[in-house]
Amino acid sequence: MGSSDETERELDRRSFIKAGGALAAVFAPALTAQRALAGVAVAPALRRGGFAAREADFGPAEGAPYPAKWYPFTGHPDSDTCWSLSVGPDGRIYAAACAESVPGGVVKPTRYNEQRDDLDYLFNLAEKVDDPGDSGRATQCKIHYSFAPSMHDGVMFMATHLSGPPIDLPVYSPWYSWHDAKRVFRGSALLAFDTKTVQVLWWDTMIPKEGCRCLLHDEERGLLYAMSYPRDHFIIYDLKTRKHRDLGRISSINPQTLFLDKKHRVWTSSDYGRIVRYDPETDRLETSPNFIAHDLNYQTGWHSVFYDVAPAPDRESVYACTWSPAPRLMRIWLDEVNKGDGWPRVEDLGPATQPRDLNFPVDLYRDHCGGMTFGGDGKLYYVASRWYDPKYFPQLKGAKIETQGVVWRLDPETLNREEVSQLVHPTGEAHYVSRGAVDHNGDLFFGHVGNRPSGIFKVSMPADRKRPNAHLPIRMWG
Amino acid sequence: MTTNTQTTKPRFDPNSPEIREYLNDVSHQFVREGTMVAFPTCLPGVTMPIPLDESRITAIDINTDGHVYGGTSCSGKAGAKVHVFAAAFHNLTGVVLDVTAADDALAGATECVAVCCCEVRKWREEESEEERKAARAWPGAIAFVNSPRSGRAIFVPHVDLAQDWIQEWGGDQQYARDLGECVPGEPVVHAVALREGRRIVGVTSRHLFTVEAATGKASVLGEVPGRGRIVVAEYYVWGLDDNAKLWSYEIGTGKLQRGVVSLPSGDWDNGAAIRWASSKWGNVVIADASGRLFRFYERHGGSFHQIGQTHLAPVYAMALAPDGRVFGGCGDEIANLFVCEPSPINRPGEVVVAPPVGSSPAAASARNLGVAASVFEQRRYMYQFGDAVVGRDGEIVFAENDNGGHLWLYFPSLRAVHVISG
Repeated sequence: MGSSDETERELDRRSFIKAGGALAAVFAPALTAQRALAGVAVAPALRRGGFAAREADFGPAEGAPYPAKWYPFTGHPDSDTCWSLSVGPDGRIYAAACAESVPGGVVKPTRYNEQRDDLDYLFNLAEKVDDPGDSGRATQCKIHYSFAPSMHDGVMFMATHLSGPPIDLPVYSPWYSWHDAKRVFRGSALLAFDTKTVQVLWWDTMIPKEGCRCLLHDEERGLLYAMSYPRDHFIIYDLKTRKHRDLGRISSINPQTLFLDKKHRVWTSSDYGRIVRYDPETDRLETSPNFIAHDLNYQTGWHSVFYDVAPAPDRESVYACTWSPAPRLMRIWLDEVNKGDGWPRVEDLGPATQPRDLNFPVDLYRDHCGGMTFGGDGKLYYVASRWYDPKYFPQLKGAKIETQGVVWRLDPETLNREEVSQLVHPTGEAHYVSRGAVDHNGDLFFGHVGNRPSGIFKVSMPADRKRPNAHLPIRMWG
Repeated sequence: MTTNTQTTKPRFDPNSPEIREYLNDVSHQFVREGTMVAFPTCLPGVTMPIPLDESRITAIDINTDGHVYGGTSCSGKAGAKVHVFAAAFHNLTGVVLDVTAADDALAGATECVAVCCCEVRKWREEESEEERKAARAWPGAIAFVNSPRSGRAIFVPHVDLAQDWIQEWGGDQQYARDLGECVPGEPVVHAVALREGRRIVGVTSRHLFTVEAATGKASVLGEVPGRGRIVVAEYYVWGLDDNAKLWSYEIGTGKLQRGVVSLPSGDWDNGAAIRWASSKWGNVVIADASGRLFRFYERHGGSFHQIGQTHLAPVYAMALAPDGRVFGGCGDEIANLFVCEPSPINRPGEVVVAPPVGSSPAAASARNLGVAASVFEQRRYMYQFGDAVVGRDGEIVFAENDNGGHLWLYFPSLRAVHVISG
């Protein structure tokens, strides 16, 4: 057996991403005409961080008022990431303590206990699905944007994802081990967790050999929708028959979220920045002629896949950001498409993060936006990173934390945004937020990726911006 | 905050040779040799790619100009259709043009099982309009598609691809058209163009048939079981017969013979999983359903020589490169690229089995080249192979049988030649 000191070292899960090529480009002025040609509507620039973002737009605001508190997954010391954080049907916050860089690591779902002001560790998921961490296979290491509530019965669905290596190997690649019966991931385990009785009612292997990148629940139809990884297939799971259907591949880069409209259509995106939708009426996947928002100065739309999507409270639109360098904010008007069969208008709300040197690709773990959720005050909250850059953002030079996780509050009426908090980790950085949610008390919670143990943040909302059952209407996807 | 409080203890020595080799192998798991380039089914920036679930490319062929014609299969759901296209990648081309009409001859079809390129006919400027009209009536290719009720031949127009597709191009939109059923009520299994490009031989579920390029007329040649794909060699067209045998159709005489050659020991029951590859000189390789690769010699009564074994099965597509190497894709769901390099040291009956991933010695005759991926033009993985042909310069053109399928050009690694100086 190997020495524990060496095997406990942080394994860099970003190695695949780091293989990306340089994005040499010129930071030229944006052209409105180009946007129109791309089918992207032009919105008034955000008060801070509009199209032509200036470094001043991203500077710390005075007196950001919302206090934030860190809750490490001390009950699961292996944990290195929190890829899923959602509000459950009971209005409480559920978070996945994932252990993906740990050989043999497994995920433990947690729930925020407001009485104890701490986390409850619900169960060892691998044990529940008879796939223990020492199986020799890739492990049930994480839940990746794959909590989905069921309101009528108080169930929280959760589906697992892969990447955690077998206990006797340092890394796992699903492509490499696809045909290796000894090593291959058994498949994404779907669990139905009863939030009232705190029991797993049943489980099933939803996607054989593959992980679930994101999950959505269409409660009226009794269907779960998922994206598989690595093959990027669109999966439909029928909760009545407990059988899945594979509608085939979308692209190569996984979209990180699926979302639902009033007509029960399911929406996501392709590698090339186009919208993809599944229409139950035709049972087909379709690709939009128009693009989701991206920077036309140097981006082509490639890798502009949805990272996070939050439904507006009236369900007439959704707010989204991309999983790409310079993550882009946008509003997508589903109400318009709900009236017909066209494609929704995409309103570009500009970049979520600061300008940077375009001669070299930025680390996707530094330049990030996530945690999108509406608060009880009807405003959109999200977390975007901000980092020291000698040319584009020198203000943070010498700061204790040179990469910051900033909580923003965006007013859908005015598109003004303001900084309301900063996430502060006791010893590390706290800028990579996966998901955010508001609990039934109206407080904000954010899942954090990085550091060990990983954990979540609670951001307390001012009393005048809270309301009971602020989590309703609930988001049905992870 | 790295606390080093991890409680799960890994069970390996990170410094062991096995782990180091594993890590090295994982880091080289994609396209271990050569280069792959994925090209979308469009003229990028000018036309739209074929829709997601209509672009599973299942058949391609190449003409003497080096232009590729192909066809797709679709989900079969309402509104989904198959497409036929013409493509070129050399000179100032770099284009895939869909010639499927909107109100279309392909309505109801769900799969394209073969595309057969026809003789390239060119007209001279001094020719009359009549002659030019006749030349335009000559197909670029004939495709074969199946609907739930029938197997049909489709006229694919000759597309003027040899233009300046960087700067200025011209020409009217052209459409495929239906030539009718090949054999009434029978799906087409496969078809091949004879070398002169004026005639096609195909097989349905029960019959061998021929289609004349000039007229598009199909006629039955005889009764054979349509158990799988067929191949054109130097003098004959060959196909799988019953009882692990081949039938032959002699091109020169039109003579059809059943059960004329016995297949070697192998996995021949599932005819749909058997693949052929042939060169323009008539060399032929066949893969059985378990990935055994045999060279087939049609002279002297037909004989086989096993040249390799792929590490995954079945083989979904393969092509015989001009230098004798066989390139292909094998394995379900996430296929691997492979190369079989018959070596002069192979003796008849010798079988070289591909070693496991990561320990492929250079001398092996069927090696795992890893998962296919493209980092040029389109950044994409390729998981499912539909067909393969050898391109103009010896590169391999692979058809991707998947949603959002692309045409993939594989440029093999050059082989080193030791030159002894005088």
